Formats: sequence, structure tokens, C-alpha cells
Amino acid sequence: MNNFSVYDELDQAIDQMLAAPANASAVRDSSDRESNVDELLDLASDLRHLPRNNFKMRLKLELEWAAAGRTVSAADTDAQTQLAREAKPVAAGGQILTNLFGKSWSGYPVRRVNFVASVAMHAVMLLLMGAGLVMVKSIVPRVEPQLGVSSRLEPYIAPIGIHESHGGGSGGANDKPRASVGAAPPAAREQLTPPVVLRNNQQPRLTAEATVIAPPDLNVVRARQIGDPLSDIAALSNGPGVGGGIGGRAGDGVDGGEGPGRGNNKGAGCCDGIYPFGNGVSMPRAIYAPEPEFSDEARKSKYQGEVTLLATIGADGRPKNLTVVRSLGMGLDEKALETVRTWRFDPAKKDGHPVAVQMNIIVNFHLF
Amino acid sequence: MNAIANLANLTDERLLIEAAQHDPGRFAELYESNFHRVYAFVARRTADREEAQDVTAEVFHQALRNIGRFQWRGVPFAAWLLRIAANTLADRWQRAARNVEVPSEGPMEDLAAAGVTDTEVERRTMLFQLVDRLPADQRLVIMRRFVDQRSVRDIAQELGRSEGAIKQLQFRALETLRSQARNHHE
Repeated sequence: MNNFSVYDELDQAIDQMLAAPANASAVRDSSDRESNVDELLDLASDLRHLPRNNFKMRLKLELEWAAAGRTVSAADTDAQTQLAREAKPVAAGGQILTNLFGKSWSGYPVRRVNFVASVAMHAVMLLLMGAGLVMVKSIVPRVEPQLGVSSRLEPYIAPIGIHESHGGGSGGANDKPRASVGAAPPAAREQLTPPVVLRNNQQPRLTAEATVIAPPDLNVVRARQIGDPLSDIAALSNGPGVGGGIGGRAGDGVDGGEGPGRGNNKGAGCCDGIYPFGNGVSMPRAIYAPEPEFSDEARKSKYQGEVTLLATIGADGRPKNLTVVRSLGMGLDEKALETVRTWRFDPAKKDGHPVAVQMNIIVNFHLF
Repeated sequence: MNAIANLANLTDERLLIEAAQHDPGRFAELYESNFHRVYAFVARRTADREEAQDVTAEVFHQALRNIGRFQWRGVPFAAWLLRIAANTLADRWQRAARNVEVPSEGPMEDLAAAGVTDTEVERRTMLFQLVDRLPADQRLVIMRRFVDQRSVRDIAQELGRSEGAIKQLQFRALETLRSQARNHHE
């Protein structure tokens, strides 16, 4: 008899014994088998009474729990006993978290309250961790440098002796001699009558004081004879200019410039037509002042600093004559000029009237 | 030599009992050394495996609760456990007798001498201990075949092996048990 037939014979005998436990002895005592198989069947008969798998371990754990003073609830024990009765091998993954639902009998005795406490503790820990992360995220400063631009206005104080008068004023009656010497006419914001040395109409129907357009608070020497203060001609003459003023060029003013003011340049006013601060001249206020942008070059180089621009803030609120007083380079000067040109101001005022002033506009390009 | 060995075992057991009386956590060692004997004793006198397991569990829980009252008299600890088992079984049968008429004679007759086990109990005790020492695959086949009472075909499908291989494992497991049992007796 080969081995395979012994295996089959033993297996068939075991099948018979398991199918009819009451006749186990009869099966064992069959005389048709080899004695070797009979001996094995004796063992197999006793093996029918083996305890279930893991029963020993489960009971040991129960005892350990009991020895530690922890009791396993009757419900748990009953459930485990029931499960032990129904115990069938379950493929791995056949059930999910059997311990969590108190359905495991192969491991530790199950106490559901422990699972609930564990879940609650884990939930609290997760909440604390989450809150901590949110708090840390909200207070940690960004490491990445931020670009920022701010600007401020400062009044421009012209250094004495450096800037000459830029006001414009001249005129004349197309006379041969140059304008005669005399005191400058009084200053006014509006000019009704241009100043003249020699009047053609000696009896005008409407009279008005001859003035030049200049700041009213400009101190002038009051004198009986008006004329060009810089002239050395004593003979009375309006000068060779045209336009009705005093001087050698065009306009209604006085001196060698052009226009209704006084000075050697063009336009109204004294000097350059710009009111100096003080004496009731208020500061202009920026009402539209977008901040310049960083140039790409400066951004890449993390370059920072200040650009100072000199600007005339006209009576119309527009910046004019923008020049760079202090340069920064790397394209930042151009960015500042480009942007400040678009600014609009509530102009400076003198006695409630808008007047032009000069301002320093300092643009600060900085990294946070 | 056997007498000396038995004396040494008794001394060790006494120390274990005293340790368990001071620290119930040490009871596990007594449990390990007596589980199969108690189970075999109970299984010999119960109708099915589930009842045997229930009674066995009850016996050890009672023993744990009362370990402090145990007094050493030179008798193996197993005798005390088997007396508890006999009493537990007697209580069960008495409760069952209130509902069902049961014969007055039965396995109770020899329980009066609890602590003195028959040869069948001894044989099963040894056999169950030997099963625990089988190679894993042989032990698995034995548990599936005799505890779960599954067919060779089912076991083969579960383990992904041929029926012939399972029969062979079954045969070898039984041969191993027989061989080790003989060695144990000798």
C-alpha cells in the first residue's frame, strides 16, 4: 500500500468518525485497516475534544484583566462567548476593526467604553494640533521679503543766492530808449492795468492801479515813479518792448522777461511765479497719489532706498517741472517720475486762492 | 530520580502559588501549567466543546478569586483546580436536574476523588499540550479538521494547496503526535 492510499484511508476513517461521533469506537476498531492507521485514529478521536483556537489565550487575558482589578462586562463576555461559538476563520481583511465594534474574541477582552474614551482623546488631540497649526500659521511672519513703496511731501526751501528769479515781466511802448529806472509797481494777483512810465491817455475814464502779477505780499518799495528797478536810464521811457508794460520784451510786466509779472523770464509772479511757503501759504495735499512700482532690476537685486523729486505743484493741482534731486538708480528714478506725473493735488492756497508751490516728493522704495 | 523531580516541581509550584497569593498578576503562570489538564478533565465530563470551555473559564475565575484562601498541603495545585471543576460541574448538573430528569448515577461518582484523574484525562492533557507544539501548518490542519470539523477539500481551498497535500499534513501531524506521546511516556 503506497503512502497516498494510507493518507486516503486515514482521511476516510476520520470523515466517518467526525460524521458519527457515537460510532467512533466502531470506526476505530474496524479490522480492515492497518494497525498504524488505527493508532492514529485513536489520537484523532481525542483530538475532537480540543478547545477552540485562541480559547486558551482569551481566557488568560480575561484572568489577567480580572487580576488587575478590571472586570470585563457580562455583555462583552457573552458576546465573546457567542462569537467563540460562531467562530469561523475569517480571511484577513474580511472584517474591519472588529475590536472597535466589540466583535473580536481572539484578542483582548473588549471594553467598548475604552474605545469611546480613546476616540474622544484622539479627537481632542487632533483638535489641539489643528488649532496649534492655525495659530502658528497666523503669527509666523513671512520669510519672503515684501516690496513696499511709500512717499511723503516736504516743502521745498530754495537756497538763498542759488536760484535766480524766474518770473517774467516786460513790455514797453516800442520806445527808442530803454525803460527808465523806477520802483517796481505793486504786486497783485490780477492785472487790470499794466504798469507804464509814460501814459498815452492822461485822462482815462476808468482808473485802476497799475500792477504786476506777483505775490501780493512781495515787498516793494513804494515810490512815486515806477519803472524798471534795474535800469540806469533816467529819461522817462516805457522801453523798446511791446505789449504795454515796462521793458524791452513782450508783455505787461516789468524787467527783461516776458509776461505780466516781474523778472527776466516768462509768466506771472515774482521770481518764477511760485509762492514760497510761509506767510499763509498752505501745503498742497495729494488727492490722487498711486505708489510707484519697483523696477524688475531693483526687485531682483532687493535694492532699496529713496528717490527725491522736485516738483512744482501748480495752482491747478498738477505736478510740473519734475526733476530728480536725489537719484537711486536701477530704474527706480524713472518709475518715480512716471508715477508722480500722474498725481493730482489739492493745490496750496494763499488767502483762499490756489497758488503754485515747489515741493520735494520723497519716494521710498523699501523691502519689508 | 522521578521522586526528586516531582519534589522539585512541587516546590516550584508552591512558590508560584505564594507569588500568586501576593500578586494575582502571577496567577497566569499557574494557569499556563494547568490549563490543558483542567480542560481535559472538564471536556471528559461535558457534552460539547462549548460547555467545556465555559466550565473551564468558570473554574479558573473561581480559582483566581479564591487563590488567597488556598492552603498548601503538599498536594498538587491541579488537584485543587480539579476539585473546583468537579464542584462546578456538579452545580451545573444539579441546576439542569431541576428542569430535566437526569440519572442519579454518572460521571459524578468519581468526582469525589477530584485530583485523582483517570488515564484518559491524562492522555488528553498530554495530547492537547503536544498539539500546541506542532509545526504551524500541521497544527492549522489539525485545528481546522477536528475543531472546526471542515473537510479536506475546504481546508485545501482555504490554504491554497492540494487535497493530497492536506491529507499528507494531517497524516504527518498525527504521526508526530503519536511519536511524541510515546517519547513522553518513555
